[in-house]
Amino acid sequence: MTTEVQAAPREYGWRMPAVWWARQRHYFLYMLREFTAVPMALWLLWLLVEIQRASNGPTHYSPHGSPWFVAFSVIVLGFALYHSYTFLKLAGVIIRLKIFDRPIPSGAIVLAVFGTWAVASAVVGFVLIWFSR
Amino acid sequence: MSEAARKRPALDHLFFWFMFSQGGVISAIFLPVHVLVQGILGPLKIVTVADRHYDTWVLLLGNPLVKIYILVLVSFSFFHFAHRIRYFVVDLGLHAAKGLPAQVAFYGGAVVVTLATIWILLASVPVRIW
Repeated sequence: MTTEVQAAPREYGWRMPAVWWARQRHYFLYMLREFTAVPMALWLLWLLVEIQRASNGPTHYSPHGSPWFVAFSVIVLGFALYHSYTFLKLAGVIIRLKIFDRPIPSGAIVLAVFGTWAVASAVVGFVLIWFSR
Repeated sequence: MSEAARKRPALDHLFFWFMFSQGGVISAIFLPVHVLVQGILGPLKIVTVADRHYDTWVLLLGNPLVKIYILVLVSFSFFHFAHRIRYFVVDLGLHAAKGLPAQVAFYGGAVVVTLATIWILLASVPVRIW
């Protein structure tokens, strides 16, 4: 008979270096994708501020228009497009549809999702510009 | 863990994953055009945009469909952002972001933004049906 003393379970220590994401291009792009949420959130908060300013009345209403805001928007657009590209591309992996027992190729699903993006952008852009008249 | 607890469906996971994925799709499809048109083309006067002038902006914001659209865009997007930023912080090494207080802070933040959006949409411009 052996008497083994069981050691108390040890907690697994997380030993990743703080800048692990800088080691490989794929790691960096992953973190970049996750980070896109921050600038997009900030921009939407700016939009809410602009909507709130509509309550100031016609004489005190001032839309965002400074060069800083435009520069900020250019940066946010880059992040937003990267989010759109990476997130919508996933549809080809996630969505599995069958028509008459035949699976729809993932390429067709991705094309449909990107097509929806294009149509939705055109509609929103049209409304924003059309209602300025 | 009891057998019953193990078999219990993770409804909170279902909810937050639903909000995360829908928010991801909605922000991916609708946000870039807002940033391009309202953030760049409008301020640079390349095109005229409704939000540049009070009258046209109020006309648009008074429409109930526009209010619902903005609420959906902002609310779902912020649940997506909350989830992403929380895990971004975890990936940076701050494991406390996995805990319950962090979850309350991040998803609670999304709830606060949602309530603030409802208030701003209703208080800034009255609903106008025409």
